[in-house]
Amino acid sequence: MHLHRLQNRLFALVFSRFPALTARWVKRQKLASAGPPPWVPFHKSLAQCRIALVTTAGVHLHTDAPFDMSDKDGDPSFRVIPQAASQPALCITHDYYDHRDADKDVNIVLPLDRLREFAHAGEIGAVAPSHYSFMGHIDGRHIERLLAETAPDVARRLLHERADAVVLTPA
Amino acid sequence: MGLVARTIEQHGIPTVALSIQRELTEKVRPPRALFLRWPFGHPLGEPFQVAQQRWILREALHALETLKTPGEIVDLPYLWRRPGPWTQSG
Repeated sequence: MHLHRLQNRLFALVFSRFPALTARWVKRQKLASAGPPPWVPFHKSLAQCRIALVTTAGVHLHTDAPFDMSDKDGDPSFRVIPQAASQPALCITHDYYDHRDADKDVNIVLPLDRLREFAHAGEIGAVAPSHYSFMGHIDGRHIERLLAETAPDVARRLLHERADAVVLTPA
Repeated sequence: MGLVARTIEQHGIPTVALSIQRELTEKVRPPRALFLRWPFGHPLGEPFQVAQQRWILREALHALETLKTPGEIVDLPYLWRRPGPWTQSG
């Protein structure tokens, strides 16, 4: 393993336990002024809604290519998680947080089993056919690509798959 | 993650985001967010704590119905590895 990846993982272990440490890092980030949040009113009943999950925890199918950890600005691409995917089919590629617990139970970052239970119980109408996963550590030049290409691509797929609402989960 | 939430909402789908980094969420301003003072990598809580995971996911879904102010961040009161209201629920 490259030295910088090892170093990232060591930092990840510390930061995962002490999120307050990252507040300073966040203050230094030169994020473009976000502007007012977009807003789509939610009118439907949850019991009629098809719900999709989007995570930035670096989850993907074993059979998919892992996220690129060699680029220090991260990887703005995404992976598709099929509706029926469960723990044995999934893994996590992400050096910037401690995912040992999520490796054991992916539901703490991508609660797909819980969502399926809600659909089964009638609390929600249905589970969307696909869910989407990014690697949350995206910086520098890749933010532009995320905003111009990969995030809109996911949004269009969710529209096409008739998702009524989306729950997003970080790492 | 907030950036992805904003993009999806801009395309016409309501979103709700869990957050475990409040400062970042304040900066990025996703449409609806619920903040938990929990360690990174644990937005739904602890592994195999099914009732806890259900509780948090349910709170997120209900926030879609209840939040009316764009950019609002709800601070969930739950403490890490302490009993919560989910201990009595299924």
